[in-house]
Amino acid sequence: MSPPRRPAASAPVRRLLALALLLPALLATALLGLAGGSAAASTTSPLPTASQSDAPAGRTVVRVGTEGTYAPFTFTDPDTGELTGYDIDVVRAVAERAGWRLEFAETTFDAIFAALDSGRVDVIANQVTINPERQARYLFSTPYTYSRGVIVTAADDDSITSLADLEGKTTAQSETSNWAQVARDAGARVESVEGFAQAAELLVQGRVDAIVNDNIAVLDYLASTGDDDVKIAGNAGDEVGEQAFVFRQDDPQLQQQADAALASMTGDGTLADISEKYFGADVSIPDGGEVTELEGSDTRDTTEVVADTAWPMLRGLLTGTVPLTVVSFVVGMALALVAALARMSGNPLLRLPAQFYISIIRGTPLLVQLFIVFFGLPQVGIRIPSFTAACIALSLNVGGYAAEIIRGSILSVPRGQFEAATTIGMSYSQSMRRIVLPQAARIAVPPLGNTLLSLVKDTSLASTILVTELFREAQIAAAPSGQFLPLYLFAGLYYWVVCFLVSVAQRRLEHRLERYAT
Amino acid sequence: MSDHDPTAPLVEVRGLRKAFGEREVLRGVDLTAGEGTATVLLGPSGSGKTTVLRSLNVLETPDAGRVRIADAEIDFDAPPRDRSTRRREVAALRSRSGMVFQSHHLFPHKTVLGNLLEGPVQVQGRAVDEATADARRLLEQVGLTGREDAYPAQLSGGQQQRVGIARALALQPQVVLLDEPTSALDPELVSEVLAVIRDLAAAGWTMLVVTHEVRFARDVADQVLFLDEGVIAERGGAEVLTDPQHDRTKQFLRRVLDVT
Repeated sequence: MSPPRRPAASAPVRRLLALALLLPALLATALLGLAGGSAAASTTSPLPTASQSDAPAGRTVVRVGTEGTYAPFTFTDPDTGELTGYDIDVVRAVAERAGWRLEFAETTFDAIFAALDSGRVDVIANQVTINPERQARYLFSTPYTYSRGVIVTAADDDSITSLADLEGKTTAQSETSNWAQVARDAGARVESVEGFAQAAELLVQGRVDAIVNDNIAVLDYLASTGDDDVKIAGNAGDEVGEQAFVFRQDDPQLQQQADAALASMTGDGTLADISEKYFGADVSIPDGGEVTELEGSDTRDTTEVVADTAWPMLRGLLTGTVPLTVVSFVVGMALALVAALARMSGNPLLRLPAQFYISIIRGTPLLVQLFIVFFGLPQVGIRIPSFTAACIALSLNVGGYAAEIIRGSILSVPRGQFEAATTIGMSYSQSMRRIVLPQAARIAVPPLGNTLLSLVKDTSLASTILVTELFREAQIAAAPSGQFLPLYLFAGLYYWVVCFLVSVAQRRLEHRLERYAT
Repeated sequence: MSDHDPTAPLVEVRGLRKAFGEREVLRGVDLTAGEGTATVLLGPSGSGKTTVLRSLNVLETPDAGRVRIADAEIDFDAPPRDRSTRRREVAALRSRSGMVFQSHHLFPHKTVLGNLLEGPVQVQGRAVDEATADARRLLEQVGLTGREDAYPAQLSGGQQQRVGIARALALQPQVVLLDEPTSALDPELVSEVLAVIRDLAAAGWTMLVVTHEVRFARDVADQVLFLDEGVIAERGGAEVLTDPQHDRTKQFLRRVLDVT
């Protein structure tokens, strides 16, 4: 007798919405506290925040951006699991003299300058070569490395021996690195990669013709992997490159402190000692001798690498992946409920923003959303720590998708249920809470389970914004060792185990809710 | 509401009109029902009888007219003073009646007892112990003692509808509205539900029933209203069913009785 129409949200809805809006706000507050707390808990935290309160008095907290995957300059010591390398030791020695307290943030080379620009790090210690373009935008310390570039090719390729031969060839480089510029200037096409190890792997696999990189990094790679499929084919020009620390232009004080420290380290031989320790030659001065052979910073075999990485990956899972998933899912569900109810509202002031939000989230890639929150917002003055930024982006994403699931589930609860609740005197929010939503929940469990599984895996994208989670640990271990297949398989296994547990829990929940199935 | 006359009929509807889009379903319906009486609404499908019932608890909002149950009244001709006043009026009117639906609409995620307690405890704020004792008594009345902890899906259609009736009664309403309570049931389950409704009538509950069960109507009806095309075409006592005056009523009864 009556047309099939839904109860339109009216005045009582707004009260329920107000209630629902409070929930995410509370969660977000708790979340910010959580992120701040965990960052303060550890000095080698991957989540640097600007407001460290536990720094010893008189010591400036200086956040260092570095790849952590570029041996022997910046890498994770396979024996101790600690960040180490020539650049790391040098910046530590500088810090000691300059009175800095260091915090390291590891990220890919191509994200390092963005991190410096957005104020997430204060200095880059990553073999950054001084060139005019960079000098126009940044401050450099005095150089602490003098090195030259080499061209690496497949062992059986004799067609390339100099930069001139790169014309028309393909090379693999970090997009924004100086070596990429060298290759481009020589007429080569540049494939963008995330670090030296990945570039070397592409060369070994025959996907590119050559790579141009630092002599020392190449020698270390050859010694570490024992790889005889590739060789040093020639010098990348005759110029000696100068590498130095990079600061923002508005930070001349740090630069001056660094220069003073470097000068004293050159004077007392500290810098030369560090260089000798890593390279068997002094690369901190222009003519300190040629680096010809290295031991290799990582000479472990596959079994050792995997065994050594099992714990760091598990730690990444427990302190990165799982908390990211849990927080984002809880906040995302609250958002989804609000968005779903607003989307069903008769009031366009509620409905249209909800529609817009859902459309934006579902119409843009998660990676883009992450980058907007992490790299984009600081440009308008909103600076969010990396873990929190990842939680925000992932929550918003989950919220957009789950909103439609929840809306569909609410709509699939028979209208008679709402009417029955109405006739026994329930208000809109009472009927929603006690009658409609519990039934919608049962309908929503399978699709929301899917959302949760996707979320578990999507947290790996947080590795691109300085969050040290499971996949980032796998990358850190894979970089110096070159053991991509076993490590990524192992990382995949960890994800699979978590997802398996989630789906078991989902089945049990479905089974429990099944008891009243009609 | 304070000027309510205690001698007036318990239920009173005046000039009720309702259109769904272009289609006028109710075109001016007037009715009264005295306390303790059973009123049966009959009529072909589309005649508006269910809409009359659903207007009494504002599941449908009438376009015009007045609806009153006991001391709760809404005048749909006068624009509401504001939204919260109208919301209070609607809540007051709804609290005077209990509704039994054609397809019961029991809450599938609650047990039988849970279905009965939801209104009294959550809405009326009664003590759980007291409401539970009342609910058990009601379940005994409708013959479902021992099924308190079953879920609706575990019951037969007839049992489900009897729970639906008990749920309406648990609110201690002044009027029970029954919307084709047996139409969705298998034929062999109809009689157990009708028996329960007969008991209610005998116990003095004020009832408005939309039904096609003419024999049952003959047994229980104090008043019969025959609706046709949105108006009450014929009204009277149970004799309307045996000795109809209006052509449309005769036609309808012939058809219904042939079928049954």
